[in-house]
Amino acid sequence: MIRSFTAHAGVRALVFASIAAAVCAAPALAQTLKFGLAMPLTGSQSSFGKDQIKAAEWAVADINAKGGVNGKKLEMIVLDTQGDATLGINAVNRLVNVDKVPVFVTAWSAVVKAVAPIANREKVLALSIGANSPDIAKLGDYVYTAFPLADVDVAAVANYTLKTLGKKRVAVIYVNNETGIEAAKVYRTQFEKSGGQIVAYETYDPKATDFTGALLKVRAANPEMIHLHGLVAEMPLVIAQMRQLGMTQRVTSYAGAYNPQMVEKAGKGAEGLIVTSLAPDARQNPNVSGYLERWKKAENRIPNGLPYTQYLYDSAYLVAALYDHLEKNKLPATGENMRRALLAVKTFDLPMTGKLVINEDHTVRKPVNLLTVQDGQFVPLATVD
Amino acid sequence: MFDLPILLQIGWTAVATSAYYVLFAIAFALTLKVAQVWNFVQAGVMGLAFYAMWLAMIRWQWPHAAGFALGLAVAVVVSAAVEAWGFRVLRQRNSSSLMLFIFAIVLAEFISYLLTLAFGTEPETLTKSIVSEVHLVGGVAITNWDLRALAITIAMSLALFAYLRFTRNGQFLYAVADNGPLAELYGISANRAYLLAMVISAVFVAAGVYLYGTRASMIPTQPLELMLFAVIATILGGIGSIHGAALAAVFLSLLQSASILVIPSAWQGSLTYFVLFIVILFFPTGFRFPAWLRRVTRGR
Amino acid sequence: MEYILSVLILIGIYTILASSFNLIIGFGGLISVAHPIFFALGAYASGLANLHFGVPIPAAIMLGSLFAALMSVALSLPSLRVSGDYLLIASIGFQLGFLEVIKNIEFAGGAGGLSNIASMYAGPYRSLAFAITILVIAALVVALVHWLTHGDYGRAIQAMRDDEECFTSLGRNPMAIKITIFAFGSGLAGLAGALYAHYFQYLTPEQFGIVQSSLILTMVVVGGMGTTIGPVVGALLLTALPQAITFLNLPSSVMAPLQGMLYTSLVLVFLFTRPAGLFGKPVRQ
Repeated sequence: MIRSFTAHAGVRALVFASIAAAVCAAPALAQTLKFGLAMPLTGSQSSFGKDQIKAAEWAVADINAKGGVNGKKLEMIVLDTQGDATLGINAVNRLVNVDKVPVFVTAWSAVVKAVAPIANREKVLALSIGANSPDIAKLGDYVYTAFPLADVDVAAVANYTLKTLGKKRVAVIYVNNETGIEAAKVYRTQFEKSGGQIVAYETYDPKATDFTGALLKVRAANPEMIHLHGLVAEMPLVIAQMRQLGMTQRVTSYAGAYNPQMVEKAGKGAEGLIVTSLAPDARQNPNVSGYLERWKKAENRIPNGLPYTQYLYDSAYLVAALYDHLEKNKLPATGENMRRALLAVKTFDLPMTGKLVINEDHTVRKPVNLLTVQDGQFVPLATVD
Repeated sequence: MFDLPILLQIGWTAVATSAYYVLFAIAFALTLKVAQVWNFVQAGVMGLAFYAMWLAMIRWQWPHAAGFALGLAVAVVVSAAVEAWGFRVLRQRNSSSLMLFIFAIVLAEFISYLLTLAFGTEPETLTKSIVSEVHLVGGVAITNWDLRALAITIAMSLALFAYLRFTRNGQFLYAVADNGPLAELYGISANRAYLLAMVISAVFVAAGVYLYGTRASMIPTQPLELMLFAVIATILGGIGSIHGAALAAVFLSLLQSASILVIPSAWQGSLTYFVLFIVILFFPTGFRFPAWLRRVTRGR
Repeated sequence: MEYILSVLILIGIYTILASSFNLIIGFGGLISVAHPIFFALGAYASGLANLHFGVPIPAAIMLGSLFAALMSVALSLPSLRVSGDYLLIASIGFQLGFLEVIKNIEFAGGAGGLSNIASMYAGPYRSLAFAITILVIAALVVALVHWLTHGDYGRAIQAMRDDEECFTSLGRNPMAIKITIFAFGSGLAGLAGALYAHYFQYLTPEQFGIVQSSLILTMVVVGGMGTTIGPVVGALLLTALPQAITFLNLPSSVMAPLQGMLYTSLVLVFLFTRPAGLFGKPVRQ
């Protein structure tokens, strides 16, 4: 009787002890490594935003499937910005004050600029991935880009036009907003510095649907080639109207134009279009073919803005690497430490985009792939380092 | 830079693209003249008609004619409903013009949000590719779209003119526009006239969005902006003059296109508003044509 | 907590906007939708004065308010000379035109917006300090509008609105009163703008378009035009409601247009069933 009682007591004690242990251990297991993602889930930019979010989600799942970061799971909190500054501020405010993330990823130049004061004031690390306004490098201590800014790929295109294609008279036409104004300046500076001549420098309103005015001015200047810097929403229309006005010049653009919609909507007018890509393709990086396969199986298409999604996929790995550094150095997960980690690690080896080096001046440089449209398809043209 | 082919091109393209502005202006001016209401709901009708056509032509792959018919039907039904259950009710209550205005603009916005919910904010066109055949005539690029647009606009404008001038219903519209209560005494139903005006406007709206959607792209918030052009044209043309509104629309389009010759392209968008201001300051009752021209165009 | 404070701040700002708009449209009977542009002008003027000319923030805020009031005369004077209906069209043109102008001025940040505007308060209690300041100012504004419209001047405004011809024949000048009310209301909007600028520290032209116009209009119509408490309730409801909706966790693609549809359908319902708004006295037909 007594023996069985003590035996039962022993079993009970063991059960209680294991429950107690489990309960105490549970918070440690449930603790996740949080970071924010503020992207367009809805709105005019959502076709890009959603694909970029999906890529990041896949990366988080992949990282967690392999055990996470030193056993802890990565948790990504996604909020909608619609690519709009005010909504971006709301989203980041929530991420910083309610979800208390030490680091967040965002894109679209207007949003990045709008949330910069929050990042700087609250000392939370803002990683801009995909926005390309050169101003982003100067937005403050807590704003870093992990994506090359316009001065990298636009300059590459300008050089290619002048030096490789030998065209000395070029017209620039750009959308009159954050994306276009700065990038057009970069093109002009680079092109003129290398000895070329900008014969026309025209702009159009982001909401315009008739570009005749600007296009006629360009036509009158008789350029050899035209550099177009706008959004995928209206660029095909600009090209179509260009051809409708009898202008047959070859057109160059930037990474944003590397999109099947350009060919779909502009039809034959898009032949010869030169665009840039800042991410390695399947030949240059073996991981990319597997990535494309995954898209084919899941969505039966290639993602909108493929290179951008590659960078967003890698963003999770970047954050994981930062958390890893904090763990190894026993630093608490605050924004300040995240920033320190970024600068301490400095060089990252990321699966879809290769090596990333964070420079002191808040910039990144990458090799630029140039592609052109041939028979309705994008084919590789050249690579510029 | 200012050589002849360029000037001709500017002139041609400006006139061709003024086609849809003319149609929108006529629609707006007609309802203003007959019903004395600033019909901002027209923006909502424009949006609904466009997306109905888009659904039919792009999503459901209907032939263009059928798609257009659907858009037309939607425009007519919505306009009639707005008149019967909206304006008429407010009119019967002797609501102030402020109330009518609030109703019109808020309904237009409601429709805009509804369309955003249903169709998102990606720009859409009515044809897969908006490129049409180009003919180079003496250095000026003339497209098939241009020719079609001009033909449709001129035909419809003449038809309306004939209708207003030569048919009984048309005369009734004039009568009610002039003096509603007096017309009622003669047995003309003012309500019917208002309804008729709204329906005719809907037809012009449908044609206008069809032309617009085959040349440029639309998003749910665009119609309110397009309306502004129509409103300015109506004021400039003189409130009460439909021909005036049409001609003013052409003139404004020419002005906007020709402006690139003198101002940087960045300011082109602001031009319309400066013109509005100048119009309000100096031509609030419309630009006065010389008397002999007026007699011919007014047709009275 | 931070989140609640930011909502309170927004409520304060919109209370000032709705009250001042009510002064113009509800009491003054002036049909204008350009209120957001004066909101914008006050915001930009204050932000720029402080950023580029080193004007201390309280003075910059006063400057912004004054600038907005002065610019309103540029709109009201020419349009009212012609007729009240024209003010409506002119105000739409004025608002959109000015937004285009701001978009093209590099000095004001252009289309990319004006960022890094100085914050009025700093430190850990920043939001609390802002919330208190703005709510106090909002209360003062409401009291001011009430005093203005219910005293002798208020009677003059009412007389002018009810029968302008009679008013003129008595030797009073309706134009002067209209322009003054318009300037006053717009100046208050400018004040709200300046406060907004120094809290959010970032301005873009997109924030001040037609959507803002209809939001403020909704607040006034639903609350009750021509009443003092109406706009306050309108501002409270229409700022708090959308925030509450975000916590329902609906898909975002549904949320934004749904909020828009909510505002507009509220106005439409009120317009047909209770035109006087929540707090207005039903008008005898």
